[in-house]
Amino acid sequence: MIPEDLRYTPEHEWVRAQPDAPAVRVGITHYAQDALGDIVFVQLPDVGAKATAGESFGEVESTKSVSDIYAPVDGAVTAVNSSLAESPELLNSDPYGEGWLVEIEPADQAALGNLLDATGYRELTESE
Amino acid sequence: MTDDLQRPPLHDRHSALGAKFAAFGGWQMPLEYADGGVVAEHTAVREAVGVFDVSHLGKATVRGSGAAEFVNACLTNDLGRIGPGKAQYTMCCDDAAGGVVDDLIAYLHADDHVFLIPNAANTAEVCRRLAEAAPDGVTVANEHTDHAVLAVQGPGSTELLAALKLPTEHEYMSFTEASYEGRSLIVCRTGYTGEHGYELVVPATDAAVVWDGLLRAGADLGARPCGLGARDTLRTEMGYPLHGQDLSMEITPVQARAGWAVGWKKPAFWGREQLLAEKEAGPRRTLRGLEAAERGIPRAHMDVYAGDTRIGEVTSGTFSPTKRVGIALTLIDTAAQLAEGDEVEVDIRGRRSRMRVVKPPFVTPHVR
Repeated sequence: MIPEDLRYTPEHEWVRAQPDAPAVRVGITHYAQDALGDIVFVQLPDVGAKATAGESFGEVESTKSVSDIYAPVDGAVTAVNSSLAESPELLNSDPYGEGWLVEIEPADQAALGNLLDATGYRELTESE
Repeated sequence: MTDDLQRPPLHDRHSALGAKFAAFGGWQMPLEYADGGVVAEHTAVREAVGVFDVSHLGKATVRGSGAAEFVNACLTNDLGRIGPGKAQYTMCCDDAAGGVVDDLIAYLHADDHVFLIPNAANTAEVCRRLAEAAPDGVTVANEHTDHAVLAVQGPGSTELLAALKLPTEHEYMSFTEASYEGRSLIVCRTGYTGEHGYELVVPATDAAVVWDGLLRAGADLGARPCGLGARDTLRTEMGYPLHGQDLSMEITPVQARAGWAVGWKKPAFWGREQLLAEKEAGPRRTLRGLEAAERGIPRAHMDVYAGDTRIGEVTSGTFSPTKRVGIALTLIDTAAQLAEGDEVEVDIRGRRSRMRVVKPPFVTPHVR
């Protein structure tokens, strides 16, 4: 459940580079949604908002608890997944697909290289 | 998981179903199951049927000549209002302060035999207080690990029990002895979900046979194994208090608006003097329901405001899977003079979220 082609943060977000766009797509990992349980609310930033790596820019709330979501890279939010307002359960059912959160255009494309790769993220989850 | 937690007899069954576990009153119990999750399990109980292992609940037997009379002189509710074969919600209060040591269900078998189901964390203390006060000839036995308790809750519960040839016709808050595949058990028409349902008190050694039978027969009825996560959202929708949150040594039955479970006319019960005085003077705070008027899920210990004035605190708060909004039980200062429909604010991590005062239950009960 850790796709090889994505990058990851220690806060359990994934980042996908898109071949035909400068913006990267961001979501939470399978591991994160499983730990949270049924997600019932998602709060996302507005399009155009500034994202600062490591800082909270939204929240996901499950029946049990609430968690911040952290920006994986510096940049600007270029799109948000508006279907999550009506269907937050997409984060549980399809965290790497329909349950994506936002797209961010990184201030520096090279910043992705600082994130974990699948192997690094797998080691992280196995040590938690 | 720490090893000092007590495990219920069905622990291996829960593991095999991919349960996530959590500690409840010193017991390691299933929170939710791999194929379910809180919302799916909650919905199964509201719309079909759910099967819960609630074996962490305490079990105790008070026996001997005058046992019922003795229990009635200790616990708040009036056992004289019910006859043998009936169960009653009651409370064990602190005699000096009136706070709630525990809330529990008393099952009246006979004048000389009362069975009690207290909360897991409080069973030893309830037993200690009763044993200390018991007259000669009355014994109090803590049977916490002797029995398992399986709750079968939801509109399909009758059909599921009937499939196991168990009795279903007895009325709400009554119980009857029965057997399943030669094993004796007690079928109670009780529950903590607000739905029509049963709680089965089963010898611990027979728990797996009954559990397997329920899940096997339940497969065709849309039955799900349900964890304590769903049990909490279900009970919160009903406004049922949870001891340790909405009732405690600091929260009296008068404040919790549980006066209906106090036999005020009885000559004696623990805490009588304190509680009568508080009732007479009027409590300084009472348990009120709040329903979110916008997005936001209240959680225990969050502060409640009317304008700039802090008027109370959330004691239980969750997302209501049925209504799809945040709901809360709160202790609100009487001085705030809130009426139903009034708007207040809850401080959710530094953000004020609007909520409306409502009288629980938040969802229509179907217990009968």
